[in-house]
Amino acid sequence: MIETIQSILIYAFIWGSIYLLISLGFSLICGVLRIFHLGYGATFVLAAYATWTFMEDVGLSLIPSLLLMFLVQIGFSLLVFYRGVFQRYLEQEEVLLVLSLLIFVAITHLANFLYPVTAGVSLPTTLVDGTLVIGKVRIAYQMLFAAVGGILVTLIYVLGFLKTRTGLIIRAMSQNLPAALLMGASVNRMYYVAMILSVIPPTICMLLIAPFWGVDPFMGSPLLMTAMLIAILGGLGNLKGSIVASYLIGFIHASVSFLYVSRFMGLAALIITLAVMIYRRGGLFAGETLW
Amino acid sequence: MLRVANVSKRFGGLYAVSDVSFSLNEGEVIGLIGPNGAGKTTMLNLICGVYQADAGAIEFLGQNITAMPSNRICRLGVSRTYQIPQPFQAMTALSGVAVGVINGKKRPHMSLSDAALEASYYLEFVGLFAKRDTLARHLTLYELRMLELARALATTPKLLLIDEVMAGLNPAESSQALEMIWSAQEQFGITILWIEHVMKIIMSAAQRIVVLQYGKKIAEGTPQEIAANPIIIEAYLGGRYAKAE
Amino acid sequence: MVNLEFRRDRVLFRWGDQKYEWVIEPRYWRNPAIGVALLAILPIFVAPYPHILTMITTANLYAAIAIPLSLQIIGTARLNFGPQLYLGIGGYTAALLNLHFGLSPVFTLLAAILVCGGIALLLSPTTWIAKGLYFSLITLILPLTFLDVTFIYGDIFRGEVGLVGMSPLLSFKKVTWNYLAYFYLSLLLMLVYLWVCDKIVRSRFGVSMAAINENEDVARMMGVQVDRYKVFYYVFPSILSGIVGWFIVHTFRTFAGVTYLPLEFMTKILIIVIVGGRAFLYGAIPGAYLISIVEDSLRAFGPINYVLFPLVLIALIVFLPRGEGLWGLYHKRHHRDYYPALHVRRD
Repeated sequence: MIETIQSILIYAFIWGSIYLLISLGFSLICGVLRIFHLGYGATFVLAAYATWTFMEDVGLSLIPSLLLMFLVQIGFSLLVFYRGVFQRYLEQEEVLLVLSLLIFVAITHLANFLYPVTAGVSLPTTLVDGTLVIGKVRIAYQMLFAAVGGILVTLIYVLGFLKTRTGLIIRAMSQNLPAALLMGASVNRMYYVAMILSVIPPTICMLLIAPFWGVDPFMGSPLLMTAMLIAILGGLGNLKGSIVASYLIGFIHASVSFLYVSRFMGLAALIITLAVMIYRRGGLFAGETLW
Repeated sequence: MLRVANVSKRFGGLYAVSDVSFSLNEGEVIGLIGPNGAGKTTMLNLICGVYQADAGAIEFLGQNITAMPSNRICRLGVSRTYQIPQPFQAMTALSGVAVGVINGKKRPHMSLSDAALEASYYLEFVGLFAKRDTLARHLTLYELRMLELARALATTPKLLLIDEVMAGLNPAESSQALEMIWSAQEQFGITILWIEHVMKIIMSAAQRIVVLQYGKKIAEGTPQEIAANPIIIEAYLGGRYAKAE
Repeated sequence: MVNLEFRRDRVLFRWGDQKYEWVIEPRYWRNPAIGVALLAILPIFVAPYPHILTMITTANLYAAIAIPLSLQIIGTARLNFGPQLYLGIGGYTAALLNLHFGLSPVFTLLAAILVCGGIALLLSPTTWIAKGLYFSLITLILPLTFLDVTFIYGDIFRGEVGLVGMSPLLSFKKVTWNYLAYFYLSLLLMLVYLWVCDKIVRSRFGVSMAAINENEDVARMMGVQVDRYKVFYYVFPSILSGIVGWFIVHTFRTFAGVTYLPLEFMTKILIIVIVGGRAFLYGAIPGAYLISIVEDSLRAFGPINYVLFPLVLIALIVFLPRGEGLWGLYHKRHHRDYYPALHVRRD
């Protein structure tokens, strides 16, 4: 009994912190650009497979591959997603959503075509090997690092939004765009900054969890779904809501896994999200502003 | 006919309407005036069922409509126009009024062509028959207000709530609109609750006037009584003018 | 009882004290009749190529899903990103009842209608509780969760492999006659859906539907029973999709959730609605045929077709005229026709 509770609490903490990273970029785009980025899953797929391509086919070592992959991510999100899709179809949201979804599907299947699951893609990004025992629970050091990394990145982002000038402008834009424009915010540049900022957490997340979660071309879809559930539960575009919802969903997943069967994790999270929607229409922190 | 009893509505910490009571009898034209932010449109929304009152009761024709949904209130015979016209942008004027005709009261055997016929009658009444096939987004402000009026009349109301229909109209259009409202009242026999800022119109049109300020009712009476009331003058023009009177 | 009277330019039906008049104006039904006739004689040209017959049957089924979807989008004033959910529910109901209880296709049809209707009624409160964007997201997630469920209960639903061997709707002695019959049945299904949805849209319910799509609050103020209409416009198209699922189960005789529930299938249906011309229900037909042809021709390229297909769809959306779509090439929209604005984020 104690062991179950310990497992639930520890895994809720670890998964919640990892989900923080997954949902951070998504909430950022939702809150600032007011667009639902259905192509967000492509970030995960690109992170893993671009690194693998640079390491295997081009023959670079880990650090240069990572740097190049970051450049590719930023370029892709700015050129393809922002300039190609978001800017052009801002007025026709259904086209925007379908196009970003199609791009995500294309990237997924490209990764699957080039490196199917049998190709054995794996990223050598393990920081520390070995496992740790807390109480009666054994967890891998890498998982702990992923969780700590998640909290660190979130902390840096939140402090950035609260203390820096750019963060202030972005927060203002997310609350009232016309007013921010009148105050002289250069909106396009801030949108670029927001898109770049949104790409970083999922990339870091992918690098940290690849060793124990495995890399698979179709993993973008469940990760996107988790990000969406967290965003819906926490209130679209709200960072506070994302943080609370990440831990809540981490707790739900952990409880269902250890008290019942782990296959029902996703279903349980969905049912609880729907139940919350009945009582609070906009999610937990319904305000649609960034902070 | 309509009785508003001690109605209050709160938004967060702000009392938009607090403890307002008044009543309307059949066939009257009542004006609702007050400085900006007095809660007049909130009062209208409360009567229409868009908001639900936190305290108090609203009665229409003997029925308690405080917690009724808007469509049932409309079926009972209440209709409204909007301060900023809210037409159905992508629909023609005829279709917009036809929606009101079909849904205003229970019409089990009405087909779309019958509804279109009746809608064209209402459009002709307000003078928009020539524009019946124009999309609502292409109409001018005066035409939009007339469309709102036609739409409200199409639901065969017993009580019509008019929200600042004269705002933005030039004097010629204003007098035309006033004519239209008078003929509507005579022809269809409706009671009117009229929110207005243009004092000249409301003073000549209304039989009784209710004045709100900061959500509270500060006066009620005939136009002459209201014009001479020092409290009203202070509310609108400030203390200096009230003392000077 | 029913009296028919033939005048010079109209036919009158009378029963009791009610009269219905059909004005004979060939200009209104001549073109649709030609279109239906063209579709009906299509198999004669493709008879030598049996896989093309399957392709156009599939096209008819795609259109049969896209038509109720258009009705649902305008009627509930929300964008439904998961129309394939009820396809899966209806299909699995029919398949499981047929395989495990031996019910004939007629009874599985009734069961599919009841189950889809029940689940749709259960989920219909989301149309007025969830704000616009939240509704779209929930509909996006639901089919994927259902797919998860089919994998979880893999012994019942047979996850990846799918269910096989359900009883066919018809069986003739020659297999080609089966395929032909299925094509005509799917054509009939699609045309019936088109006719029903068209009648709804052209009636007084269609005007109220447009009012709900434009501005819900104002429509409510004018007496439109918004909540009841939304429930109807959510449940009815869902039942129609479920019937398509039943049809797939009993004609193709295999049903795997993996084919119909993931995002790829959903994008196909949404693109049919977008590319076919969202102002018209009829646009679903050319849209569906185009998507089906593209899909089939790309299959010749081998496994890379999974990458090329989304790219081709992207190109179609970017380069085809979006408002009028394919149907707009044939019929220019009159300026007073209702052109629905699809709002995704709506409060």
